[in-house]
Amino acid sequence: MSIVLKKISDPWTSIGTILGQASINDYTFYLKKFKAKKGDIIAAEAKLPTGEGKVIDVIVWGRIMEIISSNDFLPNEATKELTEENINIMDTILPLTKNDSICMVKNLGYTKNSIGEKLVLLPLNYPVAPGGTVKYPANKDLSALLNADMSSKNPIYIGNLVARKDVDVFVSADNMVSRHVLVIGMTGSGKSVWVRRAVRELMQKQYPILIIDPHGDNLGIVQKAKKLFPNHSIKLFYPKISAPKNNREVIFTLIEKLGNKLTEPQYEFLNWLLTNIDYESGTSLLHYINTLIQRANAAAANKRSKSSSGQNGPSHTGASTMGVVSRSLRKVERKLKDMERDNKSNMEKFPHLKFEELPDPYSQPEKIIAKSQVSILYLKGYESLPSSTIVSILLDSLFSHRSAGNRTIPPFFSVIEEAQNFIPSKSEGQSDYPSVSTIKKISTEGRKFGVGLMLVSQRPYRLDETVCSQMNSYIILRLKNERDQRFVKNTMENWDNEEAKQLPNFANGQGIVSGQITNIPLTVQIKFDDDLTNADIGDEDFIADVQNWKESEKNKKKKILSKNLDKVFEADQRRPH
Amino acid sequence: MPANEVIIKPQNNTSLFQEFIKNSTKSPSRKAQQNFLNIITSVADIIKKICVSEKLIFDVSYDGKKYWQQAKKYQAIFIDGGVYSSFLSSSAPFAIRAKSYIVKPDEVLHKREVFEETVKFVGDLYDADTSLFDLSEDPYEDNQLLTKKKDAARITFETAAIVRHIFEKQKFEYCFLHGPLQTPIMPFSGPEFPLFKKNVIKTILHFFKIDESSDLDRHFINVYLSSINYIKKSKYPIFGIVERTGSTIYLRNLLFVAQRKGLISEADYDKTIGLIKRYKINDGNLFEIILKDCQALRPLEVQKQIPSKAWGEWQNQMDSFPKVFVSYLRTNKNQAPIRVESLSFPKKLAKDFEYILATSKLLPNYGFPAGLDIIDKAAKIPSWLGKTAKGYYLKYYLNLALQSKDPTTITTALKAISDGDRKWKNRPKAGRLPR
Repeated sequence: MSIVLKKISDPWTSIGTILGQASINDYTFYLKKFKAKKGDIIAAEAKLPTGEGKVIDVIVWGRIMEIISSNDFLPNEATKELTEENINIMDTILPLTKNDSICMVKNLGYTKNSIGEKLVLLPLNYPVAPGGTVKYPANKDLSALLNADMSSKNPIYIGNLVARKDVDVFVSADNMVSRHVLVIGMTGSGKSVWVRRAVRELMQKQYPILIIDPHGDNLGIVQKAKKLFPNHSIKLFYPKISAPKNNREVIFTLIEKLGNKLTEPQYEFLNWLLTNIDYESGTSLLHYINTLIQRANAAAANKRSKSSSGQNGPSHTGASTMGVVSRSLRKVERKLKDMERDNKSNMEKFPHLKFEELPDPYSQPEKIIAKSQVSILYLKGYESLPSSTIVSILLDSLFSHRSAGNRTIPPFFSVIEEAQNFIPSKSEGQSDYPSVSTIKKISTEGRKFGVGLMLVSQRPYRLDETVCSQMNSYIILRLKNERDQRFVKNTMENWDNEEAKQLPNFANGQGIVSGQITNIPLTVQIKFDDDLTNADIGDEDFIADVQNWKESEKNKKKKILSKNLDKVFEADQRRPH
Repeated sequence: MPANEVIIKPQNNTSLFQEFIKNSTKSPSRKAQQNFLNIITSVADIIKKICVSEKLIFDVSYDGKKYWQQAKKYQAIFIDGGVYSSFLSSSAPFAIRAKSYIVKPDEVLHKREVFEETVKFVGDLYDADTSLFDLSEDPYEDNQLLTKKKDAARITFETAAIVRHIFEKQKFEYCFLHGPLQTPIMPFSGPEFPLFKKNVIKTILHFFKIDESSDLDRHFINVYLSSINYIKKSKYPIFGIVERTGSTIYLRNLLFVAQRKGLISEADYDKTIGLIKRYKINDGNLFEIILKDCQALRPLEVQKQIPSKAWGEWQNQMDSFPKVFVSYLRTNKNQAPIRVESLSFPKKLAKDFEYILATSKLLPNYGFPAGLDIIDKAAKIPSWLGKTAKGYYLKYYLNLALQSKDPTTITTALKAISDGDRKWKNRPKAGRLPR
């Protein structure tokens, strides 16, 4: 006679029994040897009271946060003797098979336990009963739980559970593009693995993407995606610092901060220059600074010659003060030119990639944001303040187009790499960086206008707390720094200390996915899109570089001359001692 | 006087308090304690000389890693018993087991070690149907007979476990019992001590041929004697190991041997025995002074059952018990030596003691064979189980009383389960709000 299954959990394997005390939030259970591991999602069969006075069969889902193994029959002093005397325990009479494994479980919620019920997770309001059975859910049922309702949210595939490779994990694309994501992890933890995965899936949905890339981590996407997505437009931009008239404060800040520290009268003169010399919207900043220098020099010359022709600046400002301001502006000009040159020389390392100057985001936003287009802004070579200014101007312009509701550009998703450079925390002393207020605005209002953010950082404790608190979803990869771990704990709601313990131990591409993009927080192995990586853009091989190093002809000559000169210097007897 | 100085006011019993503190700090029985020290060191010196003269002290070798590499092929059995009993007014629930830890280190993991419940019994000592013993009058006060029944059961079950292993031809190189291999059984020879029930003997020692018509075959002393003789006939090295011994059995027999051999006079023998009694010198504290780490005493053959201490007809039976070979082994620098007992002189004394020492060295501080420590933990009936079981018994009894609906019966039951007139139920209420 065949057995008729009534409960979803009937065919699942029993793996343990619930111990003495259980609460709404957690419980412990005795685990059969090797039947589950840390991070596994397991299920306890339980009964819950309903509002109508009934009691129903449910599955209480939980995650194994910790497993403690003990052997009551193996005294500590025995292990001391084994160690001191270098004895193999296998040779002795000490027991090896009496290990007990106790699992600590954090409850995730419950679902009804009858065949045909949809596995929708509900908050638990009654603890599981001690003595109850804990089971290992089947792949298909677990997958159904994790991805329930996902079809209505544009699911995107991100990988599989770390603890169960057969269980695929999807996240909600809708919530990702509209409600912001924070991606954190130390170097080598797999941030790029996640970014490639997310970008690829959004590209398949033709969603416009803007990537702010200070180090060129995403250049691989350009080359490979062109082949993989021939119908997509992949744009690679280098920056041009320009600003519209109504946002020239950012330019002021940049000049003020990149230049020398000025005294009150010097600052007054700089302010006079900036106010009296109009900035032509869309033109290059370098051109504008050059104009400022010329005007400052002219004013100083006029002061010295006591000429009254032209604008000489404030009457009480002396020529020397003007000269100092001019020097400061020249310094700004030189710095910007240096950065522009560095950026260019970095671009030259990738001759096969086509870099274009960033179009004016005010007048030509459609060239940056368009359906099926990925735009990457390559910022390598630029210091953090100019980068912040560039990003601020760019995002502010694009956001204003969206918020104006004139349908110039479609909704889009911005990926900001090295986010600590753009939204530094107050403690970094750079909270007046222009990008801070822009990103803050998008994080609070972006959802309404279809502007999504994905902030990527390896130093979360250096991020602005207000912006981080607006992030609705989190991808937390390997973190070893205690301050970073503390930041995660302080920023994320419902963060558990047990979860924090896992952070230093994640492998590349492993992490916790949490927040509105997923039904429940999950420990996931993110799928590695190796076809989107570019071998040319990996870590530089300095050792090979040195091994292949050849002295330049110029250096050789220089050395010979130096040697000859040394001889001359030695022969010099008139040199004072 | 400084403002913050606190004065401790003397209590009413100031004189006793002050004298006691003065004594404890300045001269805590100096004379008596110095005297004890002198006596014990002097006795130790004499006993050591006798031991040396009789060549009783020998070294036991131990080379941890090397030893275990060659000893891993030995299969060993470690046995211990666990008892739960609760003597309530209404019932005497009783559970007993003897467990065995059978281990052969070089065997594959799933066969390497077995924890086996070799003999077990659950019942009620007040219930004619489920008791271990026939019911009998208790001539004592305060559950003395119940305690004796419990001890007899434990001794029988532990010995039965060894017998079973021998009978079932369990292969082993060594077998160890946690406790003495032969216990003095004179206290069980009283006329009031009941017989084991027939079915109990059939269950735990089913292979013994019992004369159904002879009640005496079911008496604990005879059952025990049969088991002991069965063990003695066995070819295997079987030892009982005792920790924390207060016994003087080796010391007395050693002095007796010395007197018999003319090493000490009969008068000195008597005086020394008196001294040992007065100063409470025992094998443990004396041989701790004499033996060094990894030293042992050659076994002495001793008689454990003293006919003159047994009741009536049982006196003759005492001589039927085989003599026991008793020895001491010092297993570390911190603990008193452990007592090793066997029913025959160990055929391979050095080899056997090396094994006992090596298993004890696995617990370098405790200095007791690790296998026996392991089985001790495994055999023990956990207190949570005992407490829970007791709770169920009491609840059941109260329920029976409640069903009677008679207030007096209920009150009496409540008093009974509250464990005596002086316990919580009957204490005067004061200073607390009623619950």
